[in-house]
Amino acid sequence: MTDLSRRTIIKGTSAIGAAILPATLTEKIARADSAHNQGAGSPANAPSGGAGVSHEAPSTTYLFFNTEEAAFVEAALARLIPKDDQWAGALEAGAPNYMDKQLAGAWGAGERLYRSGPWQPGTPTQGYQLPFTPAELFRGAIGAINKELAQRPFAKMSPDEQDNYLKSLEAGGKDLGGVPSDVFFAHLWQCTLEGFFSDPVYGGNRDMVSWRMIGFPGAYASYYDLVDQHGIKIDRPPMSLAQDAHGRIHMNPGIPARSP
Amino acid sequence: MAQRLKPVDVVTIGVGLTGSLAALELAKAGLKVVGLERGAPRYTVPDFQSPAIHDELRFSIRKAMMQDNTKVAVTFRNSSDETALPIRRWGSFLPGQGLGGSFVHWNGQSYRAQVVDFIYQTHILQRYGKKFLEACGPELTIQDWGVTYEELEPYFDRFEYLLGVSGKAGNIKGQIQRGGNPFEAPRSREYPNPPMKEPYFAALFRKSAERLGYHPFPQPSSNLSRPYKNPEGLDLQACVYCGFCERYACEHFAKASPQTVILPALLNRPNYELRTNCEVLRINLDSTRKKATGVTYVDAAGTEYEQPAELVLITAFALSNVRTLLLSGIGEPYDPWTGKGVVGRNYSYQTTGGPTVFMDESININPFMASGATGTVIDDFGGDNFDHSNLGFIGGQYIAGTMTGGRPIEFHPTPPGTPEWGLEWKRAVAQHYNHTITIVQHGTSTASRLNYLDLDPTYKDAWGQPLLRMTFDFPENDIRMSQYIADKVVEIGRAMGGKVVVRGGAKRPYTTTVYQATHNTGGAVMGDDPKTSVVNRYQQCWDVSNVFSIGGSSFPQNITYNYTMTIGALTYWTLDAIKDKYLKSPGPLVQT
Amino acid sequence: MICRHLLVALVTCTVAAGLGSVSAALAQTPSGAHVPDPARGAVIAAQGTRAGAPGCAQCHAFNGASDGSGAFPRIAGQSAYYLEKQLHDFSSNARVNAIMSPIAKALTPDDIADLAAYYAALDPPFLPLPDPTPALIKSGEPLAKVGNAAKGIQACDNCHGPGGTGEPPAIPYLAGQYASYTALELQMWQRGFRKSSPHQMDDVAKLLNEQEIAAVAAYYQQVRGSAGAAASR
Repeated sequence: MTDLSRRTIIKGTSAIGAAILPATLTEKIARADSAHNQGAGSPANAPSGGAGVSHEAPSTTYLFFNTEEAAFVEAALARLIPKDDQWAGALEAGAPNYMDKQLAGAWGAGERLYRSGPWQPGTPTQGYQLPFTPAELFRGAIGAINKELAQRPFAKMSPDEQDNYLKSLEAGGKDLGGVPSDVFFAHLWQCTLEGFFSDPVYGGNRDMVSWRMIGFPGAYASYYDLVDQHGIKIDRPPMSLAQDAHGRIHMNPGIPARSP
Repeated sequence: MAQRLKPVDVVTIGVGLTGSLAALELAKAGLKVVGLERGAPRYTVPDFQSPAIHDELRFSIRKAMMQDNTKVAVTFRNSSDETALPIRRWGSFLPGQGLGGSFVHWNGQSYRAQVVDFIYQTHILQRYGKKFLEACGPELTIQDWGVTYEELEPYFDRFEYLLGVSGKAGNIKGQIQRGGNPFEAPRSREYPNPPMKEPYFAALFRKSAERLGYHPFPQPSSNLSRPYKNPEGLDLQACVYCGFCERYACEHFAKASPQTVILPALLNRPNYELRTNCEVLRINLDSTRKKATGVTYVDAAGTEYEQPAELVLITAFALSNVRTLLLSGIGEPYDPWTGKGVVGRNYSYQTTGGPTVFMDESININPFMASGATGTVIDDFGGDNFDHSNLGFIGGQYIAGTMTGGRPIEFHPTPPGTPEWGLEWKRAVAQHYNHTITIVQHGTSTASRLNYLDLDPTYKDAWGQPLLRMTFDFPENDIRMSQYIADKVVEIGRAMGGKVVVRGGAKRPYTTTVYQATHNTGGAVMGDDPKTSVVNRYQQCWDVSNVFSIGGSSFPQNITYNYTMTIGALTYWTLDAIKDKYLKSPGPLVQT
Repeated sequence: MICRHLLVALVTCTVAAGLGSVSAALAQTPSGAHVPDPARGAVIAAQGTRAGAPGCAQCHAFNGASDGSGAFPRIAGQSAYYLEKQLHDFSSNARVNAIMSPIAKALTPDDIADLAAYYAALDPPFLPLPDPTPALIKSGEPLAKVGNAAKGIQACDNCHGPGGTGEPPAIPYLAGQYASYTALELQMWQRGFRKSSPHQMDDVAKLLNEQEIAAVAAYYQQVRGSAGAAASR
C-alpha cells in the first residue's frame, strides 16, 4: 500500500503547500528535508550547520595533556586557526583532541622515527635531528613555555599578545627545554593542520567542518562520471572514513583479516 | 648459527616490480624460485579497499606504505665535507615497503625514455662538443648505458602491454601521430589502452600550451582508462579518478601493480615460493669471491637462515640494491677522493619543482577528481629535445598540467603575501582551495663525481648493519636548467589565466625535508666499461657473474621522465638474456 | 488497488487546484537557464504531461517508494543528477526499457529536471519486505563491504558509499533498493543490454555469478540508508 499521506502530498507541493499548513508541521518537514543528503553541502542546510555543531569548543577528555598543557594548546590552536562567523576554527573542530590522542598513541611514542644516536644538530637539509619523540618534545617545550609564562599564562593573554608570542616562537632563537622554539612551532602547526584537515575518525575536523569549508568531498571518492565535467560544482556533504549509512561516524569499517 | 636450507635455482632479494617480474619469467622457464620480501603480504582485497585506504593521515602523512625508519633508514649529507645524519623521518623520497614495493603506491606515470638517453655521453659530445660539456660542469660524469633504445623497444612494448598503459602514441615507426608526443622515441604500435579522461586543470594547460606553440599530449598512465585483460590473463578495471593515488594502493584493480598485473599469475605456480617479512642481510660468496652461493636472511621471528641458490637477483629498489652490494662485498666501493671504484658511484635523483597558478574563483578546478597520472604534458623542453647551444647547461624537463588529488592536509595553497597561519590564512585557504592549479616540472638529474652512495660509518639498522649513506646535491648545471625552464612555465601559467603565478624551479641545497620524487637512480650503474660501471649491459655484476642487480640503480644518470617504464623494459631485457644466454651457459655474458 | 486509484485522483485534484496558477509563474532565471522546480515535478508525477507522458506515481508512487513489489525501483531520495541522467539515458537508448523508454522520450529536459528535483527531496518510510533467507543476505554483505579476492571484485561500497547510501551526485544509492530491481540491472549490464556507466558497471557485473548477484541485491535491500527511516542496522 503506498503511503499517500497528506503530509507526503503537501511536502511535494513545497511552497504553496507549506503556506496552508500549521506551523509545526512545516517545521517538521523542513527539518526532515534538510537532513536529507541531497545537495545539502552548503552552510545553510548542512545537517549540523556550516560552522560545525556550534561555535563552542567541544569538551575533551585528555589522555596526554595535563590541565596546564591543555590550556596552552587550546588557546594556541584557537589563534593558529581561529573561528569566524562563517566557519569554526581548530579549537571548535576538536584539533586539541586530535593532538592529544596522537601524542598519547604510537606517533607520540616515536613510531617510524629513527631513534638511534649519536645526535648532532645537522644542517636544515638533514631534517629533524633531536632525540625527542613527539610526546617528549611537546611535554618538554610546553612545560618550558608554561614555566616562562607562569606570571601571565598564555591563555590569559589578549589575542594580539597571543599572536605575538606565537610569532616569537615561530621565529626561533628560544630554547624550550632543549627544543628550539621554531622546531616546536613547526610541530605545533603541523599538528594543528592535521587536526583541522584529517578525517574525523582521528578526533579532529569535527563534523568535517574543514572539508565543508574548502569543498573537499572526503574519503568516499569515485568520480568517473564527473572528472571531465569541467568546472562542475560538487556540493554534496563530505563523507568520512567511518561513516555509516545513517551518516553517523563510528569505528567499525568492517574490514576482515582475510578476503571472504 | 644460520640454518642452512635446501638449495634453489633463483633467489630474488625483494618482491616488488623487478622481483615479481623476474620471478614470473624464470618460474615460467621451469626454475625453482624463492622471493624474499622484507615487508608483509598485502592484496587488493581486502587490504586496499575503501574507505580505509582513503585515509590521508595514515598513508600520506604517517606513510603507512613506506619503510619503517625504526628498522631501516638512510643517512644523508649534501657534500663529503659534512657529517651524514640519519633521515629520521622520510621526506624527499619515500622508499616503499610491503609485498609489491613501491609499485603498489606509485602514481602510474608511464613514460618511455628517449633514444639519446641511452647514449647520453656520446650524443652530448657529438652535438655540443667537449668544451661545452666541461663548461656545464667539470664534475659531471654522464655516461652511455651499454644498451640502445632500439634494443629495448620491444621490451618497452611488452611492459606497456603487461601494465595496460593508457595513452596516445606520438611516433609509430617514425610516423608522427596527431595527439601524441611528437618528441617521443619511435614505438612499434599504439598504447594498449586509450588516454584517460582529461580533467579541467589539464584542459586549461593544454589550451594555453597549444596557443604558445608547444605540443601537448595526454600523460601516459598505468591507471587504466578502461577494463583490460593483460597478456598474463589478469583483469584490470577502469580508474575512477579518486584522487588517492600516490602513497596509496588502488581499491579498484585499476592501477598496475604486482598485485594486479603479475602476482596472481605467479603465486599459484608450484615452483615459486614467496617468503614475506624476511630481511636479507647479505649475499654469500665462495672463497674465490667471484661466485655467489646464496643469501643469508632473518625471518620475522629473528631466526637466521642461509638460502643457497645458483642465481641471485638483487631486486630491492635502487637504494637497497646498492646497499646489498656494499654489505656483500661485491665490486669495488667508490672512493670520491681518489675517483676509484664503482659501487655507489654516479648516484642521481630527479630535478623537479613547478609553479602554482591561482585562478579566478569562478573556475572550479576540483583537484580531488584525479588519478596519479591524469594530465596533459609537453615534452618541448625534455632532455635534449631543444637546442642547448647558447644555454650553458645540458638536460631538460617535461612540463605537465597534472594534479594527482586535492587531499587537504597536503594541499591548501595560499598566494604569496598570505600570512602563514591565522584568520587571514584560513580565509585564503577557503578562497583558493578549489581554484588553484599546480604545474609539474620534472627532469634530468646529471651524474656528478660528487654525488654517491656508500656505507655509513656510524649509524646502523635494526639488524645491526650499517645504513646506506647518501651524499648528494643538485649539480649547478641542473639548477640552471630548471630555472631556465621555470621561466617558460610561468608564461604558460599566465596564459592559463592565472591571476597569480608563483614561479617554480629547483634550488640548492637539495633538502631531504620536502617531498620531491622517489626516483633514486645510480650507484650500481650499467655500462660497457668495468672501470665506470658495476653491471654490464644485461645488469649482470662484472665481479660476480651469478648476481644480477636489476632496477633504477643501473641508470648512469637519471632521465627526464619517471623511470618505471624504463626499469620494466630493462627487467624484461635482462630476463631474456638470463633465459636465452645465461642459463644455457652460466658465466659472464660480456667479455672485457 | 481501487483505494490507490482513488487516492491518486484525490491527490491530482488537490494539487491541481492548488498549483494551477503557479505553474505559469514558475521562474526561468533571467539568463534563461531552467531552475529545477520540484512543485512542477510533483504535478507531472501525479498527472503526467500533455505530451503524453503518464504520471510517474502510477508505478513509482507519489512518494517514490513504489509499490513494494520490486517491479519498479524506489526512486525517493535518489540523487537528482542521477535521476535526470537515467531519464536522459532512457531517452537516448543508453538504457532501453519497454516502459521507461517511451515515457522518457515524451518528457522535455525541463520536465526531467523538475521530476528529478521532486523525487530527490523525498524520504518516505521503507515498505515491509518479502523475506529473503538470512544466509543470502549474510553472503552478500562481504561482497558489498570488502569484495572478493579470488574473483578480483572490489567492494561495492567503494563507489556506492558507506552502507551503499550512494556518492552523490553521480553514483546512486543501493541501500533500501528492491532486490529484484538491483538484481535485474546487474543482469542487464552483464548481458550487455544496459549501456549506461560503460567501463564501470558492465565490467563489474560480468565478474558476478547469479548467486552473487542475488546475495548482494538481498543485502542492500535491507540496509536502511535514510536518516529519517527506522533503523534496522
